[in-house]
Amino acid sequence: MARITRRELMNLLGAFGVVATLAGLALGLPAIDRALPGERPVSADEPYPIGAGVTVVPPLGATLDVTVTRPGGTTGTALFRLGGVQYKIAVRPFDGDLRSAGSSLRQRITANPGYQVTGPQLEIATADGLAGLQGGYTAPGRSGRYAVFVADGLTIEVTISGVDLDLGRTLPQIEASTRTLRTDGRER
Amino acid sequence: MTAAAVRPAQGGARISALARVPAFWVVAALLLAGAVRMAQIAGRLASAYPIATVAAVLLFALLAVPFWLVVAELDFLEREPLELLVLAFAWGGLVATSVSIPASTALEDLVAKLGSPHLAADWGAALAAPSVEETAKTLGVVAIVLVARTQVNSVLDGVVYGAMVGLGFQIVEDIVFAVGAVALAGQGDQVQPVIATFLLRGFLSGVWSHTLFGALAGAGIGYLVVRRDRRPAHRVGAALLAFLGAWASHVLWNSPLLGDGLGNGALALLGILLLKGLPPLLLILWLVRRAHDREADYYVGRLGTLRDPELITEGELGVLGSGAARAAARRYAGQQAGHAGRRAVRRLQRAQARLAVELSRASKETGANCDEIRVQRKTLRGLGHPEAIAGPRSWRHTASTIVTTVVAIAVLWVALSALGGA
Repeated sequence: MARITRRELMNLLGAFGVVATLAGLALGLPAIDRALPGERPVSADEPYPIGAGVTVVPPLGATLDVTVTRPGGTTGTALFRLGGVQYKIAVRPFDGDLRSAGSSLRQRITANPGYQVTGPQLEIATADGLAGLQGGYTAPGRSGRYAVFVADGLTIEVTISGVDLDLGRTLPQIEASTRTLRTDGRER
Repeated sequence: MTAAAVRPAQGGARISALARVPAFWVVAALLLAGAVRMAQIAGRLASAYPIATVAAVLLFALLAVPFWLVVAELDFLEREPLELLVLAFAWGGLVATSVSIPASTALEDLVAKLGSPHLAADWGAALAAPSVEETAKTLGVVAIVLVARTQVNSVLDGVVYGAMVGLGFQIVEDIVFAVGAVALAGQGDQVQPVIATFLLRGFLSGVWSHTLFGALAGAGIGYLVVRRDRRPAHRVGAALLAFLGAWASHVLWNSPLLGDGLGNGALALLGILLLKGLPPLLLILWLVRRAHDREADYYVGRLGTLRDPELITEGELGVLGSGAARAAARRYAGQQAGHAGRRAVRRLQRAQARLAVELSRASKETGANCDEIRVQRKTLRGLGHPEAIAGPRSWRHTASTIVTTVVAIAVLWVALSALGGA
């Protein structure tokens, strides 16, 4: 049986050092990330800034998922959780009309494997009079609702998803929260 | 110029020779794992957006060609083996990308968890991506050193391998971003978002991107490996400094600094591109130029010891070390002796470069290259153009340079207007 030389041993140790560093990055960092909680309490008494001048009053008892929430000057995303239900609002620049915004959101929902849009789109409005469209969709093991608004050169997309039981219980609170969506009125 | 800065390899790097090194099999396993992971991602993208995926692959593959040629041409005198260039490119495109995707996401999440969502939104990409990606890419140059230590024999070699790793990363990342833009647009399988991403990431920011950062980090590894005349602490310090330089350039590029300061429009976008990208670009180009000139001086110096004008003349010694002068000599031969003259000068220059490397290895097998030089010299004499030197600057070349520059500026302006000024 051939013996391994000192040079070959050092070469192999170096290679395993590279593997260990890569493993630290690809497996270690996600493990540390998973070990730390990502949810923060959020007040249901005051508007939460989503980004690009858009605010919403979160539902009572909701927590904020800081791993998805990213407020910004021209874009923004906020993810609230109510038990097993996800309530996500995304804001970004948009130069089309409400119908094309609705069509774009439906396309992105149905681009996910197993996702299907259900029923027609209905008109909705926020307390401030912001007009929007809403609809429903199904996904493997869960159901969802979506809503979209266009204002000040922005599109505001709302997606809500969870298992039917949880969704039915929390949907009134979430829809009440959606009606509190406001923009700062500055054209972008 | 001392030999300490250049340590010539004693031969090529055939796969059969590489396979005898234990690290090769570890690196091969990593490449295979990276390929499987990236194939899964590519499969998902292609099944959802087949036309956009094909368009993105074609566009960015085309973009890779000039980058590849420039990087490979950097080390004209002592060319790197194709096998190792491919390995470096594959590391960047398969290993570094597949590691960076989960690691960057996790690190950005940690910035949000330990700081705040605001901090992550503003600085998450600036802190997470450079830390993870520069590490994963630099490990690619380390892998090349482990697999073929003798092929990294100057700082310039580190630059070339680092740039190749960066290029592989840049191309694959751009393809993923382009198809991601299609998904985000929500208009179905369209190519417009791919073209917009190509203009922005490939054309406008492609020059000061991963290829450049990788070159800087690679220079540090090259210095660490080659300059054994320096103390270990000095070499490690230099390698760390180069890595930090690459990291800092990447942080500056991803940072929100100047994001709102220059307003909107094409001029503002151009200003941001120049202010954020130009300083690292100039610094790295200066370092690459220094490394290139040191290596060129070394190899041209070997040829100078021959004192045989049949193999290389005084004028050719002055030309061989510079890429621009070599090109000028080929153009001059084209003007004086047509296509045949141009081809003969190119072959002569390549044979002279190979001879310089053989001489630096103290090899006794210089006969084939000497014969090739004599054949090309005879051809050139027959064409009435015996010496491969650069001629006086012609008005046609000057006009062509001006027209090319004007066209490049016009294309840049159209791209800036479409993306930032519209």
